[in-house]
Amino acid sequence: MTTSLTTTAAAVRAEKARKVYGSGETAVTALDDVTLIIPDGRFTAIMGPSGSGKSTLMHCLAGLDNLTSGQVFIGDLELGRLSDRQLTQLRRDRVGFVFQAFNLLATLSALENITLPLTLAGAAPDRDWLEEVIGTVGLAGRLSHRPAELSGGQQQRVAVARALASQPDIVFADEPTGNLDSRSSTEVLQLLRHAREGLQQTIVMVTHDPVAASYADTAVFLADGRLAGSLDQPTASAVLDYLKTLEA
Amino acid sequence: MWTFTARNLRARKRRLVSTVLAVALGVAFLAGTLLLSDTLRANFRTLFNQANGSADVIIRSATKLSDGSGTSQRTGIDAALLPRVRAIAGVADAQPYIEGYGQLVGRDGTAIGGGGPPTRAANWISNRALNPYRLVSGRAPLADDEAVINRGAAKSGHLRLGDTTTLLTPRPVRIRIVGIATFGTADGFGPSTFTGVTLPATQTELTGSNPRQVTELLVRAAPGTGPDQLAQRLQAQLPAGLQAITGSQLAAEDYTSINSGFLGFLSTGLTAFAVIAVLVAAFSIYNTFSIVAAQRTREHALLRALGGSRRQLISAGLIEALAVGAAGSAIGWAGGIGIAALLKGVFDGFGFALPAGGLVFKASSSLLAVLVGITAAVLAGALPAVRSSRTPPVAALRDVAAELPSVSRRRTGAGALILAAGVAAVIGGAARLSQGAAMAGAVATAAGFIVIGPAAARPVVTVLGGPIAALRGVSGRLARDNALRNPRRTAATASALVIGVAVAALFTVVGASMKATAASGVDHTLTADLVVDRGGYGGASSGSGLSPRLAADLGRLPGVRLATGLATGNAVLGGRAATITAADPAGLGHALDLGVTRGSLGGLTPGSLAVSRTAAASRHWTIGSLVPVTYPDGTTAALRVAAVFDHPDITGDYLLDRADWAPHAGQDLDSAVFIKVAAGHPISTVRAAVTTALAGYGQPRVQDQAQYRASATSGVNTILGLVYVMLALAIVIALMGVANTLGLSIHERTRELGLLRAVGQQRRQARSMIRWESVIISVFGTAGGVVLGTFLGWAVVKSSSSSSTLGVFAAPPAQLVIFLVAGALAGVLAALRPARQAARLDVLTATAAP
Repeated sequence: MTTSLTTTAAAVRAEKARKVYGSGETAVTALDDVTLIIPDGRFTAIMGPSGSGKSTLMHCLAGLDNLTSGQVFIGDLELGRLSDRQLTQLRRDRVGFVFQAFNLLATLSALENITLPLTLAGAAPDRDWLEEVIGTVGLAGRLSHRPAELSGGQQQRVAVARALASQPDIVFADEPTGNLDSRSSTEVLQLLRHAREGLQQTIVMVTHDPVAASYADTAVFLADGRLAGSLDQPTASAVLDYLKTLEA
Repeated sequence: MWTFTARNLRARKRRLVSTVLAVALGVAFLAGTLLLSDTLRANFRTLFNQANGSADVIIRSATKLSDGSGTSQRTGIDAALLPRVRAIAGVADAQPYIEGYGQLVGRDGTAIGGGGPPTRAANWISNRALNPYRLVSGRAPLADDEAVINRGAAKSGHLRLGDTTTLLTPRPVRIRIVGIATFGTADGFGPSTFTGVTLPATQTELTGSNPRQVTELLVRAAPGTGPDQLAQRLQAQLPAGLQAITGSQLAAEDYTSINSGFLGFLSTGLTAFAVIAVLVAAFSIYNTFSIVAAQRTREHALLRALGGSRRQLISAGLIEALAVGAAGSAIGWAGGIGIAALLKGVFDGFGFALPAGGLVFKASSSLLAVLVGITAAVLAGALPAVRSSRTPPVAALRDVAAELPSVSRRRTGAGALILAAGVAAVIGGAARLSQGAAMAGAVATAAGFIVIGPAAARPVVTVLGGPIAALRGVSGRLARDNALRNPRRTAATASALVIGVAVAALFTVVGASMKATAASGVDHTLTADLVVDRGGYGGASSGSGLSPRLAADLGRLPGVRLATGLATGNAVLGGRAATITAADPAGLGHALDLGVTRGSLGGLTPGSLAVSRTAAASRHWTIGSLVPVTYPDGTTAALRVAAVFDHPDITGDYLLDRADWAPHAGQDLDSAVFIKVAAGHPISTVRAAVTTALAGYGQPRVQDQAQYRASATSGVNTILGLVYVMLALAIVIALMGVANTLGLSIHERTRELGLLRAVGQQRRQARSMIRWESVIISVFGTAGGVVLGTFLGWAVVKSSSSSSTLGVFAAPPAQLVIFLVAGALAGVLAALRPARQAARLDVLTATAAP
């Protein structure tokens, strides 16, 4: 059957996803009939101008927010059918997040922040995996530091390590370089790229930065809440050109 | 999760300190009051065991004349019984014991002690086995003018062995002190005074018209005979109407009586105030946890996004509350020891002497205080924990308002409904004199106040802040807007203050009403120009101890038209123990206006009595009813109701003819002498003459009408003073809550404060802004408390308007305004630290804050 074929190949997919904020005259349609497949093992960038709905799309794909209508599947699970408890479990076991504003807990050390999802699940960390992740992230010497004692780039690398630590099916990254200078940005993007290549990690990243998008396998474009095409193996200049056509 | 909670607790030490302190203060108060109650119980038990445990068996009358707390007065028994008792097998010794009123006069001519604790005189019993007092110096009295006094009385009266002084029985008797005694090893039986004289002296001085009567017979059992066994044997051989009980039974009886009376009242009152303090603390904790939870929305959302379950968030919050509760309760328990000592000092300071003795710890009380503290903290932390667990995970990614600033319509509606129902129940209950309905309504009204608070915050703060905004310029306007910014938080902060102030206002109104009632009672009743009495609480009826001959002596002074005495005592009237007064009806009619509605005082001839309208109604007596009476000497008679009167304020409910009373009263004591000044004589001159004539009587006080009215209401002032001291702690806790909220708000607004400073706000202006915000919140809470308390006070007065102590409603505007001013000043105080904290912010760091 076609559906079973698509579900095995897709890490996440959205079917006629629609999200409306507010009601009546003040209603704003953030997502308008978006149907999308994020393939397994790939690094996908979701792009679009401000207000295009790209963040909303990611929140809905990740089960952080619910749709007004339509469906989202992670693997073969339909998120709309899940209870709060099941959604919590899903976020804990199958999904990793990297946020724009680092979002580390100020009272915990870098290592404790990295293992936080495992602590919440009450699971013992997989030592080898953890060491591999920490090695990849390159923070071995700073694990006992508090977030306040780390630079922005270092904090975001801790956040990436946290997302990878629980060996999730997918990592969602929401403007992960939005608060970073270009050198730190490069570090974080290389890290994500490395996770895609070395660890076969599926990654979905929302960004408005063409340079960031160029690290992805595919760039998906959104405009006014609708899907507006995609580019495979995007380069920064190709993405920039495409965005210009969208804004025109 | 544990690590996370532990880290959070450690990272926010300052916030932790203030919440822990709130719990600690509440628990300290509770633990302290429980500790004081336990200690007093134990001390009284020891005291009574010492007092009564020495005699094996006590023989006394079965007829009780009074029903108050402590040892109740009984009718006397016939001394002729003594030889018969001594002859009974198993009796080693039996001694007559005669006890009565005996006021010692100190070296400076003033009375020693009194004003509550008894001043007793009795015959000195040489058999050590029957006398709880021990001679520490000197010897037993041999001549009738010799006396032993207790060491406490000797100390406070500066009397020494060999001194001569006066004993008022109430006749002034010259005595020579030949011995000083201790009660066991203590200076005395609590703070009461004791004078031991010879048996013949007590027979002439204390038994009045019945020298053959004694108070009790004290019996020592022969070796081999147990007290219980002997008591049973004696009981079997005694005439009807007498009781033989063992010393330990009597001690238990006395203890039970004081425990259910005075001590029960005291510990219930103290516990009520402790509960208020804990409640206020719980509000403060709730508020702090709410604000903190709101400020941590992002953090909670992040935990949710990373897979934290709701249950994990709730338990993290609860563990934090539990830790705060446990730490606060532990500190509070230790602090309770200090509070107990402090409370005892306060009571001593207000003149309620309580027996001394080491602190007595009971595991159950300690456990209770600690459990209450922990429970209050966990309950206060539960709601914010549950609320914060509802944070949607997406909140981690968006800028969401830290706390929902809008006030839900549902809450406002529910609050209005509860408030309306409460007010209706209170008014209805007060109108029907149903205290149960009024009480339920009062609780609902208070709850309604708290629920509707946020909705009320906007208009009230706008009004309160108006003048501040107008007078204080930008700082004032910003202060008002900050207080308005989150009405829920403002209202929750003020809630704790509302409760504390409401109780204070309630007591103020009830106290003022009691004073107004007493004053109007005196105004209606007193027509005499001068009143001589001994003072003490509650006016004339309790401070007894004037010689009945005093009135006659004073009546002969120039310028005195008339002097008439009012005797006070106990008798059984119509089968019930009652406090009665007795007077010469003709003379009293000139000194007091009793408001006789039926019959007349003129009709009060020997063999009749006058009763108040309320007593007549409750006893179903009318003019002509025959009332059986048992006098203190045990004789019985029947009295006819000859008058019904409206003003029982000075005489009490039952007024007898002195001609009936004096022969059977035992010791005949006047509680007051009323003096009418003859026309043409200035009151001040007569007063001076009266004061001179009173020398040698232990200086009783002489008061004119205004002074008498003031002293009749002074007891209320004492109680009110105590209540204010008790409530001060609750209010301090509430103010700490205000300070805490402000501190947290400032932390939340760091960036904004930095911005204000960056665009030119002076440090002084920043401080002023915070200070005025605090003042607005404090006055909002105080005003709410004053309104709520005044209303509830009105309800209390109205629902008990039939009682003689609370007939007139009075709300003292000056005092209530003082509350508001004090609230504003307290707001300034609460803002001290937060304001400094805000002014100290570094502009650059603050603007860069997240």
